[in-house]
Amino acid sequence: MPDISARVRELRSLENLAAGQTVIHRLHPLAKLLSAFVFIVFVVSFGRYEFVGLVPYLFYPFVLMAMADLPYKVLLTRVLVAVPFCLFAGVSNVFFDTGAAFAVGGVAVSLGMLSLATILLKMYLTVMAALLLVATTPFTELTAQLRRLFVPVIFVMVFEMTFRYIGVLFEEVYSMMTAYRLRSGTGKALDMRHMGSFVGQLLLRGFDRAERVHGAMCCRGYSLKHSPPARHRFRGADVLALATVCLPVVGLRIVGVLL
Amino acid sequence: MIQVRNLIVEYPDGTKAVDSVGFSVGPGENVALIGANGAGKSSLVLALVGVLLPAQGEIHVGETVLHKKSLREIRSRVGLVFQNPDDQLFMPNIFEDVAFGPRSFGCDEEETTQRVRAALSKLGIEHLAERSPLKLSGGEKRLAAIATVLAMDPDYLLFDEPTAFLDPRARRNLIDILGELPQGKLIATHDLAFAGEMCSRVLLLERGEIVADAGIELLRDGVALERVGL
Repeated sequence: MPDISARVRELRSLENLAAGQTVIHRLHPLAKLLSAFVFIVFVVSFGRYEFVGLVPYLFYPFVLMAMADLPYKVLLTRVLVAVPFCLFAGVSNVFFDTGAAFAVGGVAVSLGMLSLATILLKMYLTVMAALLLVATTPFTELTAQLRRLFVPVIFVMVFEMTFRYIGVLFEEVYSMMTAYRLRSGTGKALDMRHMGSFVGQLLLRGFDRAERVHGAMCCRGYSLKHSPPARHRFRGADVLALATVCLPVVGLRIVGVLL
Repeated sequence: MIQVRNLIVEYPDGTKAVDSVGFSVGPGENVALIGANGAGKSSLVLALVGVLLPAQGEIHVGETVLHKKSLREIRSRVGLVFQNPDDQLFMPNIFEDVAFGPRSFGCDEEETTQRVRAALSKLGIEHLAERSPLKLSGGEKRLAAIATVLAMDPDYLLFDEPTAFLDPRARRNLIDILGELPQGKLIATHDLAFAGEMCSRVLLLERGEIVADAGIELLRDGVALERVGL
């Protein structure tokens, strides 16, 4: 039970980090959104054997984390969640792509191992860029910028609702699990025999609760058609920050292609 | 003035939650809406801000008639405090939650901050601004939920079971605070003592219909109350 409530708190901890007041937090959300987007696009554009070309891109997460005063451990634990998926996607390369890439101290490194390392580094950089964006920008401002960039409202709404309701769903799981364990006799995890009705009830309660939360949001002016007014003006410092990220990111890629 | 005429609200299966209801709430007036569980109090309150849309009838707030296009204006003038504060508090901290309404209604950052500070100060909960809703007591959550609505500077306040989840001290505190708010209020409750302390008029709801609209002496009419299950 404490596990679930800890997850709820963890889920909201990134939002709490976004309330910081460092120079990165104070940048215009659009500058942060665009620089993260450019960074992710350029990282993804690297080929599967271009591990070395990606290494300089590590400057982005490390510099940003330091400047925004963010706890590395909190972000790293979230990055680790994506590791199994990348391993699943890349581990077969190790067995099937056996050509030699290079040797280190007499030990041959295969192309498959190189591509696995590239996948893992790409994952680290892209997930970290997304996490840094969320940890330095209030969620409502992020979605407001998405609307201003003409991202279809239906996508923004799904994004907003998922983010809001996942905590609500966790709270429901927590209270249902508490009630279940107190009466299950064993006090252990959910028995498979009860899984069907538990998940069914959770779905129904989740709908009900989501409807009430949505109602409360609408009563306070939430609507897909109306964006809240911009909270920041796009200043010279924002242009400078955007250029400081984009120029090296683009420059490094061009150098990589030329070499 | 809020004026409701011949209002019918139906559930998706066609059952009438509110049936041919008519009443009014004047500026600064405190009206209790009492009835047993399932009488239709919550549905009526939700219909007044368009969360449930009427199947028939009219709701006027001042000169504005409630329909899909006027929802935004109606909701800026009529604030609803939900029965369960957990439904109303969904942001990472109380400041952000109270700021949600003013921002959504287009206030700039300076005005939003001003309104949030004023609402929190009016309820004496400035110290909760940076706290997460997850870490508040029932009484604190209730006050924070009221602050989220007060920050929108509404003319009328609707409450759905405001004393639910409160201990006696928090309930007493709530009565004191609500008594000082100048807005007109419609309070859906089955806490008769609370209704008696807060309101000057009582609407008695039974199976979706208003069966009595009277002064607070109605709360001493044991026969009428017992008949509707109170």
